Amino acid sequence: MNLTGKIKPLSTSRTTSARVPRPATPVEHQIDLQLQDDETLVAHTQKGDARAFDVLIGRYKERLYATIYHMTANHEDADDLVQDTFIKAYKSIDSFRGHSSFYTWVYRIAVNRTINFLKRRKNRNQYSLDDLDSSIQTDPDLIEMMSHVTPRREVGLTELQEKLNEALQKLSEPHRAVVTMHDIQGMTHADIAKVLKCSEGTVRSRLFYARQQLQGLLSDYL
Amino acid sequence: MDCKKAQRLFDDLARDRLAPECAVELRQHLTDCTDCRVLQQRAARLQRLLALKRYEHPAPAYFDGFLTEFHRRLLAETQPQIAWWERALEGLDGFLSAESMQVWRYAVATTLGVTMIVGLMWTGLGQSGETANDASAPNVAANAPVIVTPQISPSASVPTLAMAPSQFSGIWRVSPAADELGLAEMPERPPAVMSTELATPQYVLDRISATPVTYDVASVHF
Repeated sequence: MNLTGKIKPLSTSRTTSARVPRPATPVEHQIDLQLQDDETLVAHTQKGDARAFDVLIGRYKERLYATIYHMTANHEDADDLVQDTFIKAYKSIDSFRGHSSFYTWVYRIAVNRTINFLKRRKNRNQYSLDDLDSSIQTDPDLIEMMSHVTPRREVGLTELQEKLNEALQKLSEPHRAVVTMHDIQGMTHADIAKVLKCSEGTVRSRLFYARQQLQGLLSDYL
Repeated sequence: MDCKKAQRLFDDLARDRLAPECAVELRQHLTDCTDCRVLQQRAARLQRLLALKRYEHPAPAYFDGFLTEFHRRLLAETQPQIAWWERALEGLDGFLSAESMQVWRYAVATTLGVTMIVGLMWTGLGQSGETANDASAPNVAANAPVIVTPQISPSASVPTLAMAPSQFSGIWRVSPAADELGLAEMPERPPAVMSTELATPQYVLDRISATPVTYDVASVHF
């Protein structure tokens, strides 16, 4: 196993006649790949090593799923769209030139496909919400919010989840994408601007208007 | 710092992304400006509320089969599409070659064969019925509906296409429904027509009274 985490070039085995390196087993090769950065994995994928792309999928599948899920509020649609995103990325990996990070590139594919999907799905909102993690009960923000409940604001967690998703689904797709990436995923304005290929000012402006709309929709909980 | 600039920096203040002197200036503005302070507090509460969506997760085992599903979909997209009838044939072949169908496939093949033979016989019978209908048709008005049912006498065989039209007499009779229409009392076919059908066949050469052709060499003139 290569302990340095660097993959030796293929030509090494051809030039050394006395000491032929033992070929790496699939498991060792997989471990090697896990240690590589995104650029190296992309380069391996472009050379035809599908296992390198598997490692990239493992790194980003959960984050991409979460983003798409928060935009669609539907588990099955999110599942399909994440798979579609990775298939699209794998098919067009040769066109990736490295001008941005792989994550930004694949994220852009995911967001664009989701926005297109949502435009097609217009007026057909069907919620299929994921379960809430039990650790939400100990979240300080939730505890603080519940401590201020009035009779009008008494609400269960499931109902709160539904209200949040309903309010998000009332935003336009670009506004929803910005709110999801910034307020839920915690991305910076600069990263969002790269993903959406727009200026930071546009991102801030969309955030501002989206929040104004959300404050009206969620006024009972603020 | 004016209100517009201050409101653009709320996010950065909440995430400690501001330069120290800028953060001090903004805090001072929030102390002095009630409108901005209220806006900033509402924006912060909204962000905390939206952040609760991070607790929505798919089922724990959801990502276990993600990679397998990705490869399955990728394979399905890259392999050539086969026609529907090829899939149907493959399905039938698989159905018949299944272990449980080893005994039944002969029964299925026999049933299909018998069905085909019966179908062919039935089609032939229908065509002979149409021929008989045509034979009795001249006595009936052109557009009148005629309902004919076969009545097989004990001495007669099943009508076939090889039988002459006159041979159908006694085999076919007008149905009761046709009797109601008065079709059975219509005048019979003129005997001349019948005799023409039964007369000895006449050939063109029989009516030529010229001298028969001779092939005698002496009669040929060059």
